[in-house]
Amino acid sequence: MTPSLSAADEPAVVLSQVLLRAEVTRRIRSARPDLAADLDLSAPGGLDAAARRAADAADLAAVAVVHRFDLASWIRASCGFALGLDPAAGAGWRRSFTRTIILAGNPGNLGGRVRFDHRADDGSSAWLAPGPPDRVTGLRRLLKPFDGPGPLPPPPTGTIRVPGEAGNRPPVRHGLHIATAGTTVSRCMIGLNHLLAEAVLDGLVRPGDRLALHRAPRLGGLAGPFTALRVEPDPRHDDRLQALACLTEERPDARTPR
Amino acid sequence: MTAVGTGRLPRRADAAPAPRSPRVLLAPVTVTPTKPLSPSHLKGLLWTDVMYRATAHLGQVTYRCSQTALHLTEQTLGFWEYLDRVLGDTGYRDRSEQDIGELYVRYREEGRDVPAEALRPYAEAAERYGWVHPASRRVLELWTAHYARLGMHDPGLTLHQPPGFTLEEMLAWLDARGLCLDLRGSGGPVYLDPTRHGMPLRRLVSPDGRPNLLACALRDLLPLAASHDEVVLLHDTDLEPDYRLLARVLAHAGPQVRRVALGRVPIDGRVRTARQGDWRGRSAGDLLDALGTPPTPRGEALLRLAMRLYFIGSLGPGGRRSFQLEELRSRVGRAGRLLDAPPGDDDVAGFLARHREGLHVDPYRLTAGLLARHRPVPAGALVPAVYT
Repeated sequence: MTPSLSAADEPAVVLSQVLLRAEVTRRIRSARPDLAADLDLSAPGGLDAAARRAADAADLAAVAVVHRFDLASWIRASCGFALGLDPAAGAGWRRSFTRTIILAGNPGNLGGRVRFDHRADDGSSAWLAPGPPDRVTGLRRLLKPFDGPGPLPPPPTGTIRVPGEAGNRPPVRHGLHIATAGTTVSRCMIGLNHLLAEAVLDGLVRPGDRLALHRAPRLGGLAGPFTALRVEPDPRHDDRLQALACLTEERPDARTPR
Repeated sequence: MTAVGTGRLPRRADAAPAPRSPRVLLAPVTVTPTKPLSPSHLKGLLWTDVMYRATAHLGQVTYRCSQTALHLTEQTLGFWEYLDRVLGDTGYRDRSEQDIGELYVRYREEGRDVPAEALRPYAEAAERYGWVHPASRRVLELWTAHYARLGMHDPGLTLHQPPGFTLEEMLAWLDARGLCLDLRGSGGPVYLDPTRHGMPLRRLVSPDGRPNLLACALRDLLPLAASHDEVVLLHDTDLEPDYRLLARVLAHAGPQVRRVALGRVPIDGRVRTARQGDWRGRSAGDLLDALGTPPTPRGEALLRLAMRLYFIGSLGPGGRRSFQLEELRSRVGRAGRLLDAPPGDDDVAGFLARHREGLHVDPYRLTAGLLARHRPVPAGALVPAVYT
């Protein structure tokens, strides 16, 4: 049986390799069932093969031009961008595993050349809706891939509000957990963007929700239920996976999970 | 109210200001003191010298070529670290520039990626205390002698001339004008951001804090640019992309910026670099000896004029003509005929003004005019004023 991320009527799930593998499988199957159809995702190498296929199959990419990295702003911008996509663009991007080209650049200097689809509220990033990667060849020549090999800066205080007006569903407070050990700024940006964009496109994170940030060296042992998980290869172990970030449902009085 | 004591009438408030002479900043690319001067270096230096001396007749010229500013580039700091790592404590007083140049070739062959931490003591000493490694000090002393023999203006080869901006001041200046992309907060590099001009990002500082040549030049030239009407950048054609950027940024400080790109001098049809020992057998010292002019005032004047006629007038700004020692020697005869021109009271400034490009004098047009056989040239006055 595939472990569930968030079934409220089951005993609390705990992050484990089994759960992480199941989440990777779920992500591929839900976005591109065709890619995983003839692969045994439970067999050694099956996930790797599927991940390679997924990367090859990502024919659409969004673009983020980042002037400076600010964690709270990046989180808001990532959610705001995904919320602003029309359903067809969102669905296409989801099928491309929310691939995003992150470039270093000052959007303010590109005003005459590029019409951005979304801008961060503090101007620290600007975004282009998903499209074929070769449409931004000129922009990629002008700018550089964002290079952030440094450690994460200190976290912002308070919760982060997802932009936009809340709809019919009452706003939800999510725990946003980030593994910090060995996590560079670049890795954090990429992982959080996938986590949040996919959570938005799946309707799990909505306008007006609040995100309470929790940082821990690793997320192993964290108790669910999990609203969403970002799973990546473990840089320290070739054959293992790591939870880079996740969303949990938090009650207002919830303490930081240990 | 009357003016007292000056004997001059007070100037009316609406009177036009007195015209002032134009101010030109001449900034050639700095040759790092790690090897002998090659024919390509000599071409750039002689070109700059004629431009400097000719333009000085028409306005105020600042000749800026700070060794101190460029010591902070990786190729110089890395060489110093290499010497101390490989040779340890040793003296360089008796070494020739060729010896030191051979060490430089070996350093470049090593190709080792030295960590920033190993270079930091060298950068600090050069920046804060004006310290120069004894090998480079020796090279600069030898160059000073070559400059004197060639009659070239010495812009302060052995002086401590720190750049007017610290690295942070320079980056703040750029940032205030939207020209800086600083990713150090994320452990990344610092870029010059000229994207609004359609030019790509260019790295200035590596993630581990090492500035490149462009960053060093900006620290040095930005504080000077605003107080000049024109900046002239002289550089090798292979530095064209960086110098295009430099010109674009300096223009933000106010002056007109002009670039003079000079082709390197091929040796036997091939352009070589210092790391390939392009100076071997053809260094400045070798050429001065090979000309064989006598150590008399006329001999020295012949040498100076012949070198300028060849490296400017014969080779021109391009980079297609290979160096030919015989052709250089043949310029001595031509130089003699020009030196024999009767001294006159011709209007040198007027003649020079007709060879201006912007506010500076174009050395090539001026020298080509000197070599032209059928045009009147006030050689008797011009040669001592500019060429010897």
